[in-house]
Amino acid sequence: MKKLGLLISLLMIASMLGACATPTPEVIEKVVTKEVEKVVTQVIKETVKETVIVEGTPQVVEKEVTKIVEQVVTATPVPSEPVFLRYADKAGDLGTMDPHFAAATQDRNLVDMLYNALVRYKPGDGSVFEADLAEALPEPELVDGKQVWTFNLRRGVMCHPSEAVDSYELTSEDVVWSLQKSANADTSAYAGEYAGMTVEAVDTYTVKITLDNPISPVLFFPKVSDYAGGFIVCKKAYEAVGADDFKTHPVGTGPFMFGSYSPQDKVVLVANPDYFRGRPLLDGVEYRFMPELNSRELGLESGELDVINGAAEGIWVERMNAKEGIRVDVYGVGEVATIHFNTTVEPLDNPLVRQAIAYALDRDEFLALFGAPVAENVYSQVPVKFLAGGLTQAEVAELGLEYAFDRDKAKELLAEAGYADGFELEMVSSERESYLKNYESMQAQLAEVGIDIKINVVDHSSMHKLIREDANPIVIYVAWRPNADVYLTRFYHSDSIVVTGAKPDTNFSHYTGIDDLIEAARIELNADKQIQMWKDAQIKILEDMVAYPLQYQNQVTARRDYVDYGHELKSVMGLYAQFDETTRIVGK
Amino acid sequence: MIRYLSSRLVLAIPTMLAVLTLVFFVVRVIPGDPATAALGDYASQEAVDAMRERMGLNDPLYVQYFHFLGDLLRGDLGESMITGKPISEIVMQALPYTLELTLSSVLIGAFLGVPIGIFTAMKRNSLIDYLGRIFSLAGLSVPAFYLGILIMLLFAIKLDLFPAVGGGDLHDVKDNLSHLALPALTLGLIMTTSVTRLTRSAMLNVLGEHYVRTARAKGLKESRVVIRHALRAALVPIVSIIGIWAANLIADSVLTETVFARPGLGKMLVGAIMQRDYTALQSVMVIYSVFVVIVNLLTDLVYSMVDPRITH
Repeated sequence: MKKLGLLISLLMIASMLGACATPTPEVIEKVVTKEVEKVVTQVIKETVKETVIVEGTPQVVEKEVTKIVEQVVTATPVPSEPVFLRYADKAGDLGTMDPHFAAATQDRNLVDMLYNALVRYKPGDGSVFEADLAEALPEPELVDGKQVWTFNLRRGVMCHPSEAVDSYELTSEDVVWSLQKSANADTSAYAGEYAGMTVEAVDTYTVKITLDNPISPVLFFPKVSDYAGGFIVCKKAYEAVGADDFKTHPVGTGPFMFGSYSPQDKVVLVANPDYFRGRPLLDGVEYRFMPELNSRELGLESGELDVINGAAEGIWVERMNAKEGIRVDVYGVGEVATIHFNTTVEPLDNPLVRQAIAYALDRDEFLALFGAPVAENVYSQVPVKFLAGGLTQAEVAELGLEYAFDRDKAKELLAEAGYADGFELEMVSSERESYLKNYESMQAQLAEVGIDIKINVVDHSSMHKLIREDANPIVIYVAWRPNADVYLTRFYHSDSIVVTGAKPDTNFSHYTGIDDLIEAARIELNADKQIQMWKDAQIKILEDMVAYPLQYQNQVTARRDYVDYGHELKSVMGLYAQFDETTRIVGK
Repeated sequence: MIRYLSSRLVLAIPTMLAVLTLVFFVVRVIPGDPATAALGDYASQEAVDAMRERMGLNDPLYVQYFHFLGDLLRGDLGESMITGKPISEIVMQALPYTLELTLSSVLIGAFLGVPIGIFTAMKRNSLIDYLGRIFSLAGLSVPAFYLGILIMLLFAIKLDLFPAVGGGDLHDVKDNLSHLALPALTLGLIMTTSVTRLTRSAMLNVLGEHYVRTARAKGLKESRVVIRHALRAALVPIVSIIGIWAANLIADSVLTETVFARPGLGKMLVGAIMQRDYTALQSVMVIYSVFVVIVNLLTDLVYSMVDPRITH
């Protein structure tokens, strides 16, 4: 028995050793004060510099302006508990908080709260641009055949304080340096977007961007907006922290500042008291990594979480909405699922076969797998609900390009193409439901016309690798792109053909039929003409049936009913409900 | 004993080397790469190529392998290919959570499983025995993640006794233990069923032995007969199963940590696989291997304690 006791002692010592290991990083929590507020109106006179055109020459003049400012004045502070919003995403861990490498959903969410850009998508509505770090949206000028965009920066925008550098005012030096970082392939994943762009500081608060080839605002603003490479990084902070550490110790100007990061667990962001739009109503955001849907759901139900990333299924939305105190929001931007046919392999090199497949597929059957309101049918690659340049159902129907479900016609076309008995195809699918469900439905529907599809299920990362090596004769791809030009260029321009293109990307169809339209539309300054060119390009895609647009799949977020995002949710480029300075918890 | 321990540790080196070599090459053979996983599908091929270069993935495989081994010999687990954080730092944050979960599960499994096994053996073919056997069979049949969800529903949602998700703060004992309760119960119950089954079986073998009958004939108390004479002899297989389960629980913690959203090595492993973070994945495997070697060593040492006939 003594020896048994020794065994128990050993186990206890081991337990204590475990408890003595490195502690978790400190979660920064601040004691905040609940402020009793009153509004004071002040009249301020100040001198501002303004650039004006005098006899064709830009000149800087000083001008006295009078501003009426409403200030919120704090009265007696009353101590209260910090209010943190607890959000759980489906990701397993952080990738990076360097915005110019942020690509995964969780990284995009976090950088959205940490940084600003010259221009931003209106919170909750990704179809509207508004000024962010810039004072106003500029109009372009043509100078020697080049297009010049001049941004006047807001004054008093402060970079977050960090261990490496104290808080300091953001100026044109930071903006120029940040956009140059975005244009460098060594420091950005989005360098390709900035080719042919020169950025320079005119003065401390003025930045001039010159484009070799003029483009329309709808194509220019995304490059300098709060998405991908457009986020502005504070130069001194980045240089002091270092490129590697910056991934986990970010410094921006946004409503929330970095607090702490616990690998596989959470990132804690704290309110930026000096945010130029005012101190956030929340004291911070606890962003947790929880890949398991059941865990997120139970965490929300038990009240340990306030907002969670949900399941893209109509039935889930219905079930969660029925629970007391829980609300589900379904909103864009929707990722578009499209079926791409490799037009260089038999028998898909025959247009009749591709058309037969299109007629054999029933969009509504695909849609039923996800259920309303999570998914909606689309009739062109560019989703008309969110972006300019898409085609509506009425438009394609009028052109006879709807490819409405008609199994008999599909069989006729197959027979005409010499495949009356069908054929076999083999392909890989991601294990993710947004892919696998569509692949399996396609498999079942095409079996009805004699086309036998074998699906090999691989993990998501492997699928991306394999389809870029041209492994699939048919690729179902689910993607969001910020405008029609990016969609069309990356999926249908000959330069983007997988493996063999000049810049191999995601042209899985090996299509070469609309290069001229894409390029012409890109430099078209008239918005109506540009949109028509994008539509024409997609009409050609449908005529040649190189790709069959299926549906877009919306974002689904569930929250406790005491959470107020502070904006209506229509579409968010950051792929989450978007937490900003107006987000708050009411009556918890 | 010291010579025995030394020889076992020396023998563990080729085992670990084989495991590490296998892991190193397997993770690189499967399709998908860290650059694509890190940058997502929106990144251009140019950006992916630049990222691969920065990650050192364009070096020949044997160069990467020797770098990995060299770093390991210096005690350097490297840096995460995704976040750039030192792996040792990430591991030291995750390890306590996995250790406390594993050890508390082993304690639950051992302290519940052994008594139930003894009791059901003593009450062979009674109602209690049948119930115990059904309990064992059910426990062995239920996957850990499913049992975890059921336990969460009952104790966190319906009864509101414990938090459903998270690992809690290691510095706050109450918070830490409350977050540990449900995952430890989940794994502990599964282990309990296995230990119960084996203890019952081992005890039944021993209880029929002549020396047990002799002990009873001598008029010893039943409790003394069972604990002093029968259990002592049945302990070797029970220690074996506890040792095996200690290693198994590390593996089971992968699912349990995911379901309960606890930080830990299991969650780190899943994340590393999904992100193709080779250095993180390799490091977790190194730690798992070390853990298995230590558990096996401890089990061997305990054998000689419970049965003096076993010598090293």
